[in-house]
Formats: sequence, structure tokens, C-alpha cells
Amino acid sequence: MRNLIIKLHIYAGLLTFTQLMIFGFAGLAATVQTAAERPKNPHTIRHQSFTPPPGASDKEVADLVYRELKMPLTRPMPNFAIKRNADKNLQLDFYNINGIYRVIVLERDRILSIEEIRNSLAIFLEDMHAITTGDPEAPRPLRIWAYYNEFAMWCLLAFVVSGIYLWLSAQARTWWAWGSLAAGVIGFGALWMGFR
Amino acid sequence: MYQAIRNIHLLLASFSLPFLVMYGVSAVQMSHNTWSTMKPAVQERDFPMQGGQSDARAVARDVMDKEPSIKGEITNVQMTAAGISLRIVVPGTVHEVKYDSKSGNAHVRTSVAGVMGMLNRLHHWAGFYHEPAPMKLWAAAVAIVSAAVLLLGASGLYMWFTRRPERRIGLALLMLNVGFAVTIMLMLRRQGP
Repeated sequence: MRNLIIKLHIYAGLLTFTQLMIFGFAGLAATVQTAAERPKNPHTIRHQSFTPPPGASDKEVADLVYRELKMPLTRPMPNFAIKRNADKNLQLDFYNINGIYRVIVLERDRILSIEEIRNSLAIFLEDMHAITTGDPEAPRPLRIWAYYNEFAMWCLLAFVVSGIYLWLSAQARTWWAWGSLAAGVIGFGALWMGFR
Repeated sequence: MYQAIRNIHLLLASFSLPFLVMYGVSAVQMSHNTWSTMKPAVQERDFPMQGGQSDARAVARDVMDKEPSIKGEITNVQMTAAGISLRIVVPGTVHEVKYDSKSGNAHVRTSVAGVMGMLNRLHHWAGFYHEPAPMKLWAAAVAIVSAAVLLLGASGLYMWFTRRPERRIGLALLMLNVGFAVTIMLMLRRQGP
């Protein structure tokens, strides 16, 4: 029995190795973040002529911009995300896993200002760790990744159970492992209580 | 050497265990949000305060002085037509304060998450930029556990490689995983912006 659990623990660990490393890296990336708000500095700003149809609603303009620009891995803009900036121009933030296409519709000048905001690698990995199967309309590569993330998530819980079994069934049980577990549980419990 | 690495693996895993359970269970909750209920307990209260205040931090401090159970980080500060709205937040608990500068009344709506909601909030909570001391301690714990996960992976790799019977199948599984992950990430990362 113990030998079988060791094998499963090892094989599942190897089969989800990258995801587990991304989980750890995402925690460190979140730790070094200096504000809740992410940096939104465009690396490129380009312009394109665009004339919105007269009488079109903001949503219709947003859909037209989406169809015309064909930005990869983005989706049509939902109503709640349509807004106007301080200059009262329509501002459309098309998000994808790499960052934001910020499109500002300058109606008087009949042009689109397209700002390309690219996330750092750390933020990219943070977002990769957060992809879940709960979004069936996500682009296909993200959905495939979501299923692997889901598998890794269940494996993480299985590692906890199998790890405890392997520890407790080992011949050499050490007092400091109990101490380490106690430190973790007490630390977690104290912080939980502190927040409540 | 093997013994030392195994001990490090056990030490890191045993310390991180409650945090890994929290991350695992809350990940299941986020991935399958219909499996559990997330409805918070809500309480509403009014606090009479001095009228005409225009400093959100002073308003928050007054509310916290009047009700010591209200504590946390001040966020979402907005000047409204009636006065000031802000939030006082700790993981799992949100106090929404609406201060009317004319009457001096502060209306506080407190939402306290249940266990699953609390796990969810803790999963998202990280970073040393949060002001209150318990949040900085939590950020330190997140950093330690995140580093521990990386070290668990590295020590696990070492221990696997020393076990000859599992080497061949293990290598195939590892290559499958790394190959898949790198391919998907490169495919995504090559797209704009």
C-alpha cells in the first residue's frame, strides 16, 4: 500500500510539476506587488481612422471596434465594462491574458487611439495560475489550460492527504515535523482569528 | 544527502499544510462556485458623528473609535454628492461606510463572510503594501509558503530522481507536463498586446 501511494505521489507531482511551480511563483509575485492596482503603462500607442455610425449606441460602437480590430484572445465588451474617460471619450478596455488593448474612440477626430498595455511575465504567470474551468467562453488555449489547472488543484489536495499518510506510515517519525506542523497550524489559526 | 532533502521536504510540507489546504479548498470553491454558498452575514448600523467632515481617513478613524470591532484597511474612498463613501476591510469582512456630511450620520453596512468566503478572501490576500500589522504577517506567511511550494517541487524532483524504478515513467510524465505547459504558455504569450 505504502509503495503504491509513494508512486502515485511522485507521478502526480511530476505530471503537474509546472502548474505547482506556477502556483508558488504566483504567490511570490503577489507578495512583491506594491499596490492592489496593476501598472497600466502602454508600450505602444497607435491610431486608426474610424467613423462611428451616426445614432449608434456605445455598445454598438464597442462591438464594431471589436470586430474591426480583431484583437487576439479578447472577447466582445460587456455592457458593464463600457465607460467614458475624463475627456468624455468612449474608453474600451479589451482584456486578455497578456494585458489590455485600451481603445479610446475620438469621435470628433474620427480616429481610434489604441494603447497596448502588456503585463509583465510575473503578472502573466499570476493570471495563468488563476484560470479556472468556470469560464466556458474563454478562448480554447485558456480552456485547455484551465482543465490542467483543475487537475493540478485536485492533485494539490491529494498531495496533502498522501503526504500525511506517507509521513505517518514512515518508520522514522521525527518530533520536529510535529513541531513544524504545529507552528503552521498555530500561525494560520492565529491569523484567521486575528482577521475575524 | 537524500535523508537531508527528505527532511527538508517533510519540514516544508508540514509547516505549509494548513495553508495548502486553504489554497486547495478555496481553489475548488472558485472553480465550482455553485458547490458552496458564499452569502455573507450582513449587519447595518448608524453612528452619529460630527458633520461637515471632508477627510475620509478622519471619518474612518471616528467610526473605528466609536465601534472598536470595526477595524482594517481603508479602501475605495469616494467623494459623493452627500459626503464620503469608503470601505474598511479585513479578509472576510467588509464595512461599507456612507458618511453624510450634512447630518453627520455614518451608515455602516458590515458583511462577514462564512468559512468558504473567508478561505476565498485569504486566497486572494497577499503583498506587503497592506497597512495593518496582521496583514503584513499574513503577507509574510504567503511569501514563506510560496517559496516552500517551489522548494517542495525542487526537493521532490531530487528524491524522484534518486529512485531508479520510477525514473523512466517519471521522466516521461515530467516531459509531457513541461512540454504541454511551455507550448501553451508560448502560444499565449506570443499574442498581443
